[in-house]
Amino acid sequence: MAKNTVRPLLVVGGHELRSRLRDGTAPLIALLAPILLATLFGLALGGDDDPPLKATIGVVDLDGGEFPASVQREALETDELKGVLTFRRYPDEGAARSAVDGGEAGAALVFPAGFSEGVGAGRGGRVSVLESPESPLAGVVARGMVDRISSLVQARTLAVRASLDAGVPADRVQLFVEENGAAGPTLALEGDPVAGGPVDLAVHYGSGMAVMFAFFVVGTTARSLLTERQNGTLDRMRAAPVPLWTALVGKGVVGFGLALVSTCATWLSSVLIFGASWGDPRGVFLLLLAHVFAVTAIVMLVASGARTDAQADGLTLGVAFVFAFLGGSIVPVHNLPEWLREVSLITPNGWVSAGLSELAATGAGPSAVLLPVAVVTGIGVVAGALALLRFRKGRFA
Amino acid sequence: MRTLTREDGMTPALVCEGLVKRYGDKAVVDRVGFHIDEGEAYGLLGPNGAGKTTTISMLVGLLRPDAGSVRVGGVDVAEDPVAAKRLVGYVPQEIALYPELTARENLRYFGRLYGLPRRELTTRIGEVLELVGLSDRGDDKVDTYSGGMKRRTNIAVALLHRPRLLILDEPTVGVDPQSRVAILDRVEALVAEGMSLLYTSHYMEEVERVCTRVGIIDRGRVVADGTKRELVAELGGTDRVELVLDGDVEAAAERLRVVEGVSEVVATGSSSLRLLVTGGRHVLPALLAAVGDAGAVTGVEVVEPDLEAAFLHLTGSTLRD
Repeated sequence: MAKNTVRPLLVVGGHELRSRLRDGTAPLIALLAPILLATLFGLALGGDDDPPLKATIGVVDLDGGEFPASVQREALETDELKGVLTFRRYPDEGAARSAVDGGEAGAALVFPAGFSEGVGAGRGGRVSVLESPESPLAGVVARGMVDRISSLVQARTLAVRASLDAGVPADRVQLFVEENGAAGPTLALEGDPVAGGPVDLAVHYGSGMAVMFAFFVVGTTARSLLTERQNGTLDRMRAAPVPLWTALVGKGVVGFGLALVSTCATWLSSVLIFGASWGDPRGVFLLLLAHVFAVTAIVMLVASGARTDAQADGLTLGVAFVFAFLGGSIVPVHNLPEWLREVSLITPNGWVSAGLSELAATGAGPSAVLLPVAVVTGIGVVAGALALLRFRKGRFA
Repeated sequence: MRTLTREDGMTPALVCEGLVKRYGDKAVVDRVGFHIDEGEAYGLLGPNGAGKTTTISMLVGLLRPDAGSVRVGGVDVAEDPVAAKRLVGYVPQEIALYPELTARENLRYFGRLYGLPRRELTTRIGEVLELVGLSDRGDDKVDTYSGGMKRRTNIAVALLHRPRLLILDEPTVGVDPQSRVAILDRVEALVAEGMSLLYTSHYMEEVERVCTRVGIIDRGRVVADGTKRELVAELGGTDRVELVLDGDVEAAAERLRVVEGVSEVVATGSSSLRLLVTGGRHVLPALLAAVGDAGAVTGVEVVEPDLEAAFLHLTGSTLRD
C-alpha cells in the first residue's frame, strides 16, 4: 500500500522537478531572484555608509540604590552598544511615558522604590519597560536589558534564599552572597543581535524577500497544476491506477521543497554576503519551515479557485504582494500605520517577521518562536484543508 | 441488464448501472446503464451534450457518480478504484500529452505512473510505438507531430499497461482521413486480439465499422441499446430519405412534416434535409409536391434502414446536432 502510494508520488514529483529545472523557473525564481533582490536592497538601503542607529533609553530610578546605577554603567561599557546607547533620567513614570510617546526617548526602564533592597533580601524585584513602536531598536535594547536584569535578580534571589536556608543570619546574607560570587549585576548583553544599523536591514530585506518569494516559487507549481488540467494530462494522471490526489500532492511537495530551498538559500546568502545573523539557526529554520508549509497551502487554496493557469498566476501574485506588504516583508511593520500593524498578524509573513525580529534582536533560542511557528502552521493546516475540499470539487484530487 | 456472476464463466469487461450525475438541479447523466462483454466492442452514440463524456468520466473514476455503480472486470470502481483503473486504458477526447517531450518520454512518464517496471517499460514502449506506427518518430517532440500522429500517441499511452478494456472518447476528432483509417485499422486489430472496447464518436460510420453493439444516449439517458441489426429493426419499414434543395429549408421542413408516412424531418445543412419515411420510394412524389415553392429539389436519395436512421428515429436529431 505504502509502495503504491509513494512510488507514484515520486514519479509525479520527479517529473515536476525536471520540468521546473528544464523551463528554468526553479533556478530563477527560487534562487537567483530572491538572493539578488535581497542583496540589492541590503546594499542600497543598509550599506556601510548609513549612520549607525541611536537609541535613547529613559531611566526612572525610584529605587536610588546600587542596582539601577550599575545596570546603566555596565550597559554603557558593553562594546556593541558604545556610541549607540544614551540614558536619560526622568523623575517618574508619567514623565518617562510622555518622553517615550513624544519620541524624546525610544524606551524607558522604571526601577520601583525598594528594588535593590528587595533583591538583596532575596525577595526579588520588578522592572517595567515602556516602549514605542516608533523606536524598535530602543525597545529591543530595553527589553534585552530587562531580560538580563530578570535573570540576575532570579539568580540573586535564589542565592539569598539558599544562604538563609543554610543558616546564614539575615543581617549578613547580602555580604555573604556577594563574597561568594553574586557580586552584583554584570550585564553581558550579547553583541550581534543588537548591533543595529546595516545588519538589521540586511536581515529585514533578506528575510522579507525569502518570505515573499516562497509564494512565487509555490505559485509556479500551482500554475503547472492548472496547465496540466487545461492540457488534459491531469485527467490522464487521475485515470492512472494511483490515488486521485497523487498529482496534487506530488506537485505540492515539489513546490514546498523548492520554496524551502529558496528561503534557506536567501538566508545563507544574507549570512555570507552581509555577515548578518538572523538569530538562532534552529529557530530560524523552524519559522521558515512553518512559513513554507503555510504558503504552500495558501497558494494551493488560491489556485483551487482558478480556471486557467494565467488566472492562477494573477491570484498568486496578488496574494503574495498583499501579504508581503501587510506582513512587513517589504516595509518594516513598525513603519506601517497602527491599524495595519494589527492586520499584519493575519498573514504568515507578519508572524514570521515578528519571530525573526525576536530571534535576531534578542539572541533567543527556538523556544522564543514556538507561538509564531504554531500560528503559522495552524494557518497552513486550515488553508490546506480548505484547498483539498475545493480541489476535490474542481476535479484536481 | 445482465447481472455479474462468476457462474457466467466470463466476467463482463464493464457493467454500469443506474449512473446519475447532477449539476445543481440538472441531471447530466440520468440512470445510465449498459454492459460490455469480454472482447466486445461497444459504441456509445449521442449528440453533443448528451452526457457521453460525463458517463466516461465516471467509468474511469475521474468523477464520482451521485448514484449508481460501475464494475470493471468485476472490480467495483467506488470500492477499489486503483485496482479497477489498472484494467482500463483511457484515451481522453483531447490530446493529453506533454508537447515539449518526445513520444518516448511521454510514454515513459505515464508508464512509470502505471507502475510498469523500468526494464519492461523500455520494451513495451517500443511495442506500442510499433503498434501505432510511430517507431521512427518516437524520439521527436510531440509538438512537431501532425494531428494524426498526436492522436496515435494519445492512444499508445493508454495501451502501455495492456488494459482489458480500452475506452476511446472521440479518438479521431481533427485528424486527416489517412490517419483516421490507420487509427480504425489498429483499433479493429486490438479488438480482434480480444481487447474489450468502449468507443464514442461523432462519426456513425466509424461506430458501424468497429462496434458490434451500440448504445444510444440522448439528454443523459440511454434510449436504446443493442446490435446494429436490433436497432435498425425497430424502424420497421422506415427508410431514410436525404433531400437536397435550393430554397427555404425550414419552410420545406414544415411542409414535409405533415405528409403522411413522414415521422421525422431535420435539417442537416443549409440546403439539405433528412427524413424518416414509411413506404420509402412510394412517398417520393408526395414529398416533392409538398416542398412546392419552398425550394427546388436538386437531389434525392433513399437509403435502406441504417444506424443513422435509427439514431434519428430514437433521438429526433442528427448525430452532429
